[in-house]
Amino acid sequence: MSDAILSAHNLVKHFNAGGWGAARKVVRAVDDVSFDVAPGETLGVVGESGCGKSTTARLLTHLLPSDRGEVRFRGRVAGTEVPLKEFRRHVQMVFQDSYASLNPRMTMLDAVAFGPTVHGVDQPEARRRAGALLERVGLDPARFGPRYPHEISGGQRQRVNIARALAFDPDVIVLDEAVSALDKSVEAQVLNLLTELRRERGLTYIFISHDLNVVRHISDRVMVMYLGEVVEIGPTADLYTAPRHPYTEALLAAMPSLDPDRRTMEAPLQGDPPNPIDPPPGCRFHTRCARAFGPCPGTAPVPALVGRRHLASCHLNTVKEAAE
Amino acid sequence: MAVAQTDIETLATADKPRGYWSGVGRRFLKDKVAVAAGCVAGGLILMAIFAPWVAPQDPFDGTMIRRLSPIGTEGYPLGADELGRDMLSRLIYGARLSLFMGVTPVLIAFVIGSAIGIAAGYAGGWVNSITMRVLDVFYAFPSVLLAIAISGALGAGILNGLLSLTVVFIPPIARVAESVTTAVRKLEYIEAARASGASAFTIVRAHVLGNVLGPIFVYATSLISVSMILAAGLSFLGLGVSPPNPEWGLMLNTLRNAIYVQPWLAALPGVMIFLTSISFNMLSDGLRSAMDIKQ
Repeated sequence: MSDAILSAHNLVKHFNAGGWGAARKVVRAVDDVSFDVAPGETLGVVGESGCGKSTTARLLTHLLPSDRGEVRFRGRVAGTEVPLKEFRRHVQMVFQDSYASLNPRMTMLDAVAFGPTVHGVDQPEARRRAGALLERVGLDPARFGPRYPHEISGGQRQRVNIARALAFDPDVIVLDEAVSALDKSVEAQVLNLLTELRRERGLTYIFISHDLNVVRHISDRVMVMYLGEVVEIGPTADLYTAPRHPYTEALLAAMPSLDPDRRTMEAPLQGDPPNPIDPPPGCRFHTRCARAFGPCPGTAPVPALVGRRHLASCHLNTVKEAAE
Repeated sequence: MAVAQTDIETLATADKPRGYWSGVGRRFLKDKVAVAAGCVAGGLILMAIFAPWVAPQDPFDGTMIRRLSPIGTEGYPLGADELGRDMLSRLIYGARLSLFMGVTPVLIAFVIGSAIGIAAGYAGGWVNSITMRVLDVFYAFPSVLLAIAISGALGAGILNGLLSLTVVFIPPIARVAESVTTAVRKLEYIEAARASGASAFTIVRAHVLGNVLGPIFVYATSLISVSMILAAGLSFLGLGVSPPNPEWGLMLNTLRNAIYVQPWLAALPGVMIFLTSISFNMLSDGLRSAMDIKQ
C-alpha cells in the first residue's frame, strides 16, 4: 500500500541466547513481521508478554537495528532514503515506565525542550514551546516545569512523556504499553488526552498493549501477535466480533467482561507459550490450538485475506478439508 | 490564559529555573559532618598554599642539639625531627607535596579514566569488552608493585612518580565509570534520547554525564588517601620525593627509627595523612548524598 504513512516490511530480529557456531541459540523475537499504518489511523498491537510487541516497537522506531527487513516512512526506507535524524522527528515513542524514561536530573521543562534543541531550535524558543506543550497535556508549566521526575505522580510523568514526544511535532507516535502502568482512572484520562491530541494534530498511533479493552476503545485496526509473528490483523470491529484465528478467539475469550453472561468460565488457553528459542514447526500456535488439524504441525500458514483489510494466518481459512 | 502565557514567557527567558547545582549546594550545607570535613580539607589546602607565612621556622634548618626534641619544647611546639628541624614547619610545608602527590594523580586519572569508562560503557558490545579486558591486565599487578615498576623504569623524580600513580589509578576509575555507565545506558530515558535523533556525544553530555559523574567522583576522592600513601612508599624507595624535601610519607619513613625514642613525634606525619584522607573521604560522602536527588 503506497499511501501508508509507516510500514514494516518483513522485519526480523533474532537475539543471541548463548552458544557458538552450530550450538548457537537465537530467540526469534520478531520473525518476518509486515504491516502498514494509514495516516491518522490507530493500529492496536496485542499479544501475550514475550510475543515481540516491544521489540516490534523498537524496530519501528529504529532504536534496535533489524536483522532483515525495512521500515518505510511515507514509502521511503528509514535510515537510507530518509535520514535517521529526520525519521526520528516524524516517528516518536512513549515508553511504559514513565519514571525510567525521564532523566532523574532534568526538570520537566528541560526534558520536553531537549528534543527540539537537538533539531536546531534555539534554547529560549524550545523552552517556550515546551511550556506550551506542558500546558496542552494538562500540566501548569509554572508549577510542573521546574520539577524533577521523582516529585510528580506517574500519570503526570506520562503526560510529560507525551509532551516530549509531541515536541518534535511528529506524524506517528508509537505507544509501547504507555498507559499499562497507570491506575484505571488516570489511564482513562491519559487515553482521552491521546484521543484529543490525535484529532487536534492528525496523529497516527501505534498502540501496543496487553489490555484488549483499551485497545478496542482506541484502535481503528488491531494486529495480534504470537511468538514473534503476526497471526491476524484487521479492522477493530471485525476482529473483535468475528475473529478468524483461533489465537485471537482465545484472547478475546480471556478478556475480562462486566457482563455476567459472558463471564470467563475456564481458561481458554492452557500453559505458557512455547519457548521462542525453538518455536514449534509449522503453525507456531498448533501446540496450544484447540482446532489444530492435518497441515498445522507441518506447514506454516501464510496470511490470507479473509475480509476487507482483514488478514489471518490460519489453515482453517484456506484449507478445504477444515470445513469437513 | 493570559496569566499562563506570561508564566511560559518567564520560564522561556529565565536561564535555568532553580538549577540542579544550587539544590546540591543547599543539601550539602545542611550536612554538618560534610561541612566540617570540607573546612578541614580547605584549611589544609590553604595551609599548603600559604606555608611560608604560616610556618614559624625554616623547614630545612636543623641543629643537632635539637635532635628529636619532644612535643612541647620551647620554640618547637611539635618538637624536632631526627635532624633537629622544626616538626611544625616541616608538617606545614609537607602539606604542599603530600597534597600535590595525593590529589594530582587522582584528578588526572579521574579525567582519563572517566572518559575511557564512559566511552566503553556507552558504546557497549565488543568495544566495551576489548577496552575492559585491556584494563584488566593492570589488575594482574598489585597497585604498589605497579607504581614501583613504572616509577623505577622511568627513574626517580616527582614527575615520574606522578605519572606512575596516574597510570595505577586509571584502571579502577575506568572500571567504576564503565559499570555505572552501563547501568545508566539501559534506562529508557537514554532510549528516549536516542529516539530524539541526538548524537551519541550529545546524549552523553546531556543525559549520561550528570548521572554517572557523581559516583565516579566519590570513588575517585576515596583514592586520594591511597595515592598519598603510595607516593610515600615511592619516596621511601627513593623514587618519588627525595630528602631533604618535606613530605609526610617521607617524614614517616625517616622517623620510623625514632619510634622507640619519641613515639608521638614519629606518629605526627601519620596523623596528618589520616586527617587529610578522612576529611577528603567524608567530604566525598557528603557530596554523594547531596548529589542524590531522590532524597
